[in-house]
Amino acid sequence: MGLIQYDVNKYSPGQMVVIPMIILIFSLAILGYNLATTGMPVRPGIDFSGGTAVTLFSTDTPDQLKSAFSGYPLLSVGEGVNNGKYLRFGPMDDTSLQSLATSITSQYPDAKIDQIGASFGQTLQQQAIIALIISFIGMTIVVFLAFRSFVPSAAVILSAFTDIAMTAAAMSLVGIDLSLPTTAALLMLIGYSVDSDILLTMRVLKRQGKLEEKLSGAFKTGIIMTTTTIAAVAAMWMVAFASQITVIWEIATVLLIGLVVDMMNTWLTNAGIIKWFVLKRGGK
Amino acid sequence: MSSSKLKACLSHWQVVLMLILIAGAVIAIAPRFEDGKFTTNLQYGLDLQEGTWLQMEFKAEVVGFETDLSAEQFVDNLHKQLDSEMYIIEDGKLEIRSYFPRETLETAFTASGGRLTSYEQGVTRSTADDVKRILENKLNALGTKDARVNPLTSFSGVTHYIRVELAGVSLAQAKEIVGKQGKFEIRIHTTGNETEHILYGDRITTVGVPSHAQPGSSTWGVEFSLDEEGATLFQQGAIATGATDNPEAHFLDMILDDNVVYSAPLSKELAANLEKEPIRQLYASTGVGNEGLEAAKTLEIHLRAGALPVDVAVAGSGYVPAELSDYFKLMCGIAFIVAAIAVGIVIFYRYREASIVLPMIGTNLSEIVILLGIATLIQQLDLAGIAALIAVMGTGIDQLVIITDEVLHEGKVPSPSLYKKRLTRALGIILVSAATVIIAMIPLALMDLSSLRGFAIITILGVIIGVGVTRPAYGEVIKEILSK
Repeated sequence: MGLIQYDVNKYSPGQMVVIPMIILIFSLAILGYNLATTGMPVRPGIDFSGGTAVTLFSTDTPDQLKSAFSGYPLLSVGEGVNNGKYLRFGPMDDTSLQSLATSITSQYPDAKIDQIGASFGQTLQQQAIIALIISFIGMTIVVFLAFRSFVPSAAVILSAFTDIAMTAAAMSLVGIDLSLPTTAALLMLIGYSVDSDILLTMRVLKRQGKLEEKLSGAFKTGIIMTTTTIAAVAAMWMVAFASQITVIWEIATVLLIGLVVDMMNTWLTNAGIIKWFVLKRGGK
Repeated sequence: MSSSKLKACLSHWQVVLMLILIAGAVIAIAPRFEDGKFTTNLQYGLDLQEGTWLQMEFKAEVVGFETDLSAEQFVDNLHKQLDSEMYIIEDGKLEIRSYFPRETLETAFTASGGRLTSYEQGVTRSTADDVKRILENKLNALGTKDARVNPLTSFSGVTHYIRVELAGVSLAQAKEIVGKQGKFEIRIHTTGNETEHILYGDRITTVGVPSHAQPGSSTWGVEFSLDEEGATLFQQGAIATGATDNPEAHFLDMILDDNVVYSAPLSKELAANLEKEPIRQLYASTGVGNEGLEAAKTLEIHLRAGALPVDVAVAGSGYVPAELSDYFKLMCGIAFIVAAIAVGIVIFYRYREASIVLPMIGTNLSEIVILLGIATLIQQLDLAGIAALIAVMGTGIDQLVIITDEVLHEGKVPSPSLYKKRLTRALGIILVSAATVIIAMIPLALMDLSSLRGFAIITILGVIIGVGVTRPAYGEVIKEILSK
């Protein structure tokens, strides 16, 4: 593949791992800072924090909308093409909610309104965290059963964890909230991440031959896998951006970031560790 | 492809199974033109279909208790303190059907001679199922064509929330439907088919859960109570119609929204008692065995006239207008096609060989078709489901690349024995990553985090179809096509 000029055999394990580890520390610092200041590693969307989201089509400018809804706790107005507007409101009591819904549906009959109560958001958030933790534990067990060797298994898990941590940090930089769909996207990354990691580990550990050949063979296959996925997700991203479907756009953005991060983590972090492991074991 | 190669492909069971599944899926999806419009059997969830969802919170709690008294004595004491419906669900567990904060309950428990050991807002699974049944009955009665009711139950078995999705209904209508009560009436037969009005459902104060007439009896029924004025009306009515003199000739009818839902004579004992005084506690028996129990469950719902046994508060809601959902559907379709084309271009760029690229794309699309076919039976498609489809497409093509690179060397097929060994190895890689993804998705599939559940189910199904059928089939097909 001529597009990416990277020789997986050129660098020592230490050189390979250092860049992703610096980025990981950075990412964890961002997440840690968010956690300390807001109580959540990534800003929660209304799914988790409670509030009201309104999608409508209007030629009014955001400022006009802001003054039109000044009587309600309007947090932000997002803009898209085709005059799509995405309004976020904070939690409010039932009567204001009713009057807001009535006034929106009378002015914009095509508006989509979603409202989540704060305590229900809390419950969803807790359940989502539990789901993530169980997912990770389950994944760890499967990987360890498959390889029955600590370092390679730990490398796969580390690289999946790093993917998610870096992507989550990037989300907070780009300003994408953690919602049910973006949680789904983060979980999808687990799937994409382990695909290329397991390919790499299987090829290197369970095949005969020179380490360099096995690594570059795995790299050739792995990079085409990730490129294909990126192509599919980029297509989805463009359509979602053009058509202003916020949910799909957010999922696609998170996946795009995650896939790029995954390339780095597979071919620097995981490849570096597995190379070190094989060299230490006897350099076969 | 020559006919001998086609035959060779068909000699592999995976290939045959894949073709059968595709045919079955197409039949299940049933794409067709109806009234000049393209339709399929695919079920769309909200977002891709106009409608409303309501997430409701139960105003009740399931609590644990300890007491030195007998459980019955303790509950009796507690009942006096709290004046709310409550049921012992198992040893040391109580369902209280009104909302009280933990502190209030702690005080009340202590005052009743016990101690609160655990507190969780919500109801038991079986109460949640009752609520689900009541809501479904109401929605069916109103002819709402597509309604779904899903309780959201936590790991401890307590249901805190219930989600209702109503297709084609606005938010205001949905709230009205869920809150609406039916008109319940008790009438007693006078002469022939004539009946006399006795009282309306507003006189009923409490309705019990199905129970036995007496301890140890096999007869099921439902206990309910009337307010004082209701009891007087009932007594006067029974005497005036002659039901107390001759119960067998003057049946009592219960009517819900003009339909007779229960009809039986007064028992001799009740008739005799009513001659003397008004009775507030009544018991309607429904029969013996399982049939009696089922009838009792239905009667309970009717007695409540569509009112829920537990108060609910709206915790979340949303409405998608038809214009927006049609637009979403169209755009998801476009996104999907564009994604498939993008995948095709990259694959072609890498292999430059139509005889590899076409089977690959073909297999990938077959997976999606089979998945959609199964989805028509068990799962609505919403935006999260579409995301899962794209994820399946992505991992699917990834794994086909793994198979191709593993078995082919310089675009040539090795000897059959070596081929088999390599294919097994490729399938090994795929199996491990499939198992990992399935395990990672299982908590989401079980936890019912609203839309994420569909996402997880579609992902898991897709992985199973891919690993079990289509990807091994691809391994065989590519061998037959490329071997000389």
